[in-house]
Parts: sequence; C-alpha cells; structure tokens
Amino acid sequence: MIKKYLVILIFCSLPFLGISQPERNIDSTAVFILDKMADIIGELESVSFYLETTTDRQDDSKKIRSNYSVSHVTMNGPNNLVFQKTGNTGRIGFWYDGLYASYYSFDENNYVTLEAPDNTVEMIDEMNLRFGFQFPAADFFYPSFTDDILDSFDTLEFLGKTVIDGEECYYIRALNDKMNFQLWVSSSNWNLPKRFVILQKGEQTLRIESVFNKWELNPTIPSSVFEFLPPKSAKLIDILEKS
Amino acid sequence: MNSYNLKTKISAGLIVMLLALLLPVESLTAQRMGHGASRGGGRSMSRPSGASHSRSARPSTSRTTNRATNNRASSSRSINGGHNKSTNRSTRPSSSNKSATNRSTNRSTNNQASSRDRSGTANKNTREVSRPSTGNTNKRTSDVRSNNGNRSRDNIGNNSGNRTKNVDRSKRNINIDNSTNINVRNNRNTYVRGSSRAYVRPPYRYGGFGYYCHRPYFYHPYRPFYYGPYYHPWGFFVATLATTAIIVSITSDSNDSSSEEEEYHYDNGTYYLKTPEGFVAVQAPVGAQVPDIPKEAEKVEVNETNNYYYAGAFYEENADGYIVVPATAGTIVPNLPEGGEEVKVGEQTFVKFGETYYQPIQVDGKDMYEIAEVKEES
Repeated sequence: MIKKYLVILIFCSLPFLGISQPERNIDSTAVFILDKMADIIGELESVSFYLETTTDRQDDSKKIRSNYSVSHVTMNGPNNLVFQKTGNTGRIGFWYDGLYASYYSFDENNYVTLEAPDNTVEMIDEMNLRFGFQFPAADFFYPSFTDDILDSFDTLEFLGKTVIDGEECYYIRALNDKMNFQLWVSSSNWNLPKRFVILQKGEQTLRIESVFNKWELNPTIPSSVFEFLPPKSAKLIDILEKS
Repeated sequence: MNSYNLKTKISAGLIVMLLALLLPVESLTAQRMGHGASRGGGRSMSRPSGASHSRSARPSTSRTTNRATNNRASSSRSINGGHNKSTNRSTRPSSSNKSATNRSTNRSTNNQASSRDRSGTANKNTREVSRPSTGNTNKRTSDVRSNNGNRSRDNIGNNSGNRTKNVDRSKRNINIDNSTNINVRNNRNTYVRGSSRAYVRPPYRYGGFGYYCHRPYFYHPYRPFYYGPYYHPWGFFVATLATTAIIVSITSDSNDSSSEEEEYHYDNGTYYLKTPEGFVAVQAPVGAQVPDIPKEAEKVEVNETNNYYYAGAFYEENADGYIVVPATAGTIVPNLPEGGEEVKVGEQTFVKFGETYYQPIQVDGKDMYEIAEVKEES
C-alpha cells in the first residue's frame, strides 16, 4: 500500500518539477562564440573603443523618444576607466583611477567625486546600484558574461553569419519573456562585439541599439588620463543615493 | 484499525507534499532578470554579483560554487580579471550541450574566482591590483545623501573626504562647523506642504521617489542671492546680537515642545538660535511671529494666495504682522539664499534646503526655482 502511494506521489510530482525548470533552448555554438569573445576581452590589458547608441525612452506623454549618443571608452588594467558620452541629452564624462570615481557634467559644469572600490567591475557595479550611473556597454566587460547570459535567458541561438558595416559577424540571439537580446560578434580573429540590440518588452517595446567602432586593443595609455582634474570653475556637488 | 490509521496518515502526507510542491511554483518560474535588468550599464543583463546572488534559487546552484576561472598569465593586468566560466554548464536543464559547453572544464584554474564572489564577502585583495601611487588620499569628495532619513552618510570606503563643512540640515540635529563646534537644533522649517494644483507633468523619478513639479527642469547654477549685510546664512555664528534684534514668539502647530525650550531671535530677516556660546543663524522657524519683514521681501503666489518670500522663508500676513509658514510645493521663487546644497539626483541637480528640494527652472527667460513635491512611489 505504501509503495502504491509513493508511486502516485512521484507521478504527481513530475509535472511540478517540470514547471520549476522552464524549457530552455541553448545553442552550444552560440555559447562557444560568447565564450571566445569573453576570453578575448578577459585577456585584454587595456582597450579603447567608441560606442554609438540609440536608446528609446518614454517621454512625459508616454510616447517613445529616441536618444542618441556617442561614447568613447578607455580601460586600462583592472582599475582604470574613463569615458565621455556626447548626445542629444548632453555631454558627460566619467573618470576612475582606482581610488576615486568622478562624474562631470559638461553642460552643468558640476561634478561628483566619490571614493570607489579598487577594481573596475566592482566600481561599475556599485556606482550603478547606488547612484544609477550608467556605463557604456559595461555588460560585456563582466568576467562571467557568458554565464550571465545563460542565467538570464531561456533561449540562446546562433542564427548564422551576417555582414555589419562590411565586417562578417556571428549573429546571436537570446530570449526570455521580457527581453530580446541580439548580438553580432566579429568573425575575424578578434571575436569582439560589433553591434547589439535589446528589445525590452513592456507596455511599449523599448529598443536599445549600440554599435562598436574603432577598437584599440592593448594600447599604451598614460595613467594621468584616468585622473579627473575639475575645471577651475566647476563645482563639486552632493549626490543623492538611490534608496 | 491500524491499517485505517496508516492509510489516513499516508493520505494526509501525500496532500501536504503536493501542497508543498504547488506553493513554490511561482518563485521558481519567476524571472531572474528583474532587478538586474538595469544594472551593469543600464542594459539588460545581470551583473556578476546579481547573478551569483540569484543563482541560489536556481536548480543549478551548485554550478556557482564550482566556478572555474580561465584567467591566463596576464589576468592580474586584465581589464576585468579574466573570463570566468562555469565548470559544469552541462548540469543546466535541457541545454543542448556539445563539446563547446564542456570545453572549459579541463582548463587550468587559479584562485581568482574568489575575487569575483561579490555576494557580500568579496575579497578585494585576491586580485593583484596595482593601486595608483599618487598618494592622493585626501581628494575632496561629494557628500552622499539618502532619502531614508539617514542623510549624511559617509562616502564609500573608509577614507573620509576633507570637506571642511558637513552640514546635514535635514535631520533634527544639525552639526554645523563654522570654526566653532556648536550643535544646533533646527527643526522647524524642514517640511513642504503639498500643492493644491494637480500636476500635469509626470514626476521625475529616482530611487523610489517622485519629484513633482509644474514646470520642466532647466538647469542653472546655484548662485546664492545676496540679501544685504544684515542677512546671515545658516550656521553663521555671532557672539552678540544687534540691539534691533527681538525675541520671537512661535505659534506651535504640533506637539513639539522643543520650541518652548529654544530661544529664537530675529533681526532684519535673519533668525538666530541662542546657544551657550552665543547665537547661530538658523532657518526661519515655522510659526514664528514677527512684526515686520525686510522691505526686499517679494510677493509669491502660493496655492492661489499671496505669501511673502525672503531669504528662503515664507510669510503670511496677519493682524500682528507676519508669521512664518512652511514652504509649499509648486511655489516659484526668484532666488535662493546661502545655505543650500546642490545635490545630484540621478540625472538632475536640485538645490536642497532641509527637506525642501528646489528644482531649477526658467520662467520667461529668467532663472528661477520651483519647490518640488517629493513623494515616495509605491
């Protein structure tokens, strides 16, 4: 009798166990390409690139408005980062020298300087979490990029090769019920990201599209580039932490 | 009888186990991208710490504990410490693992994985980080404020900036260091009355709060208005007051009995609090009744009535003269006195006096400020 109940229990449990693990479709070729790209990024000791980004936002009347920006990002070693972003919403700069992170608004001529964690990835994470700072294409520089993708998406597909700006690229798509992430990775010896598109599903689908340009790998960058020297007239202001 | 009891117990156990299986379904199927969506560059993917944190709820939790790093010889100078890969991706449910996904399991590893464990016990020293040798540990840093009532947090890390002034006017106990060590209690004008007009514009949202204004944000630098030689900003200390100063009576609208213990003085638009050492200029206390206000006071429209504004204080006229009233959201003022602090709130910069946020705006080409109504978003 007990055996009979145990059998019923096991059979009844199976559907629920199935629900707890959503159906996944992971293409090993896509994983391989992402790993290769992350390997190359992980081996870089310094890098510089430009990023052209178009970001959809809802305006006051809840209609979509696209913002455009170009960022020039430079990273050196584990604890140096600088970028400047210019777009239709203004121009800002961000400097991180391993000790301090500074955000400067060229338009408002004011800046915030904060003590920061001692490596770039943690700094990015903390600044974004605590103050909402956004860093261009920062996701690609997290050391476990592939695993993050695998954790976040149920479907990861390799959709073949395509040409972007005259460069042959691998076309990868990741999906979950809230997001559609498409990535083009160069098929050259340097498997670096070329372009990505994110479609955020919601009341309205918002699109973020970025194109990488002018990759410089392991350039020699003087450390002074990462130190922020505020203009004489610039004002140090306080900052409100996100709750 | 025994057989009947046994059957009953087993049936009950079966029901309980089925219920237990049913209950966690929602959490197991919940999306894990939720909070991570906007982190790590404001994009969509989870950051490492978020990922490792949320993995604990996943069936494949063991994967995170067996992470292997694939850092090569140059990882100490790598921009991100080297690529970290899972060693046992093959444990993922229904993933079509081929040779590629297991490729990393045979790679040599080092101990840098611990430096990537940012679930609260990150060991920052495990990575060979070459800190800049500038020795510049006294850089002037911004004050970090928060909306949870704990306004004057220290900066990140252990180094405190060398700001000479750390004034937290939003709390009841204010420590103003203007070369004197005086603890000044200043609690009577630090809240904002709501606007009677409905807001047409959606609020500016940041950190779980909405900042409501009738007019759009238009930045202009905060340049304190000079109110003349009689006006003194908050924290200004004087040993003695002019003979024109008077003791003000305060009409209390709350149960706060502290005002009865405090002695406020008023002189030409400036309010002083008596301390054992002398007098410290403070924000105008709500409820203070004064016979007159400076002639420079301007009329401002507040909730379709007129108030008078002078040096950050709002007055209503009455039979005995003028009484200090709280700031009202939506009020537009042409200038602000000394004592405010510019605070970066997300992508915008406000001027903050106590609990009052002034949003920079422009009216007919003139730089002005509107008092924002700050509401916690549900």
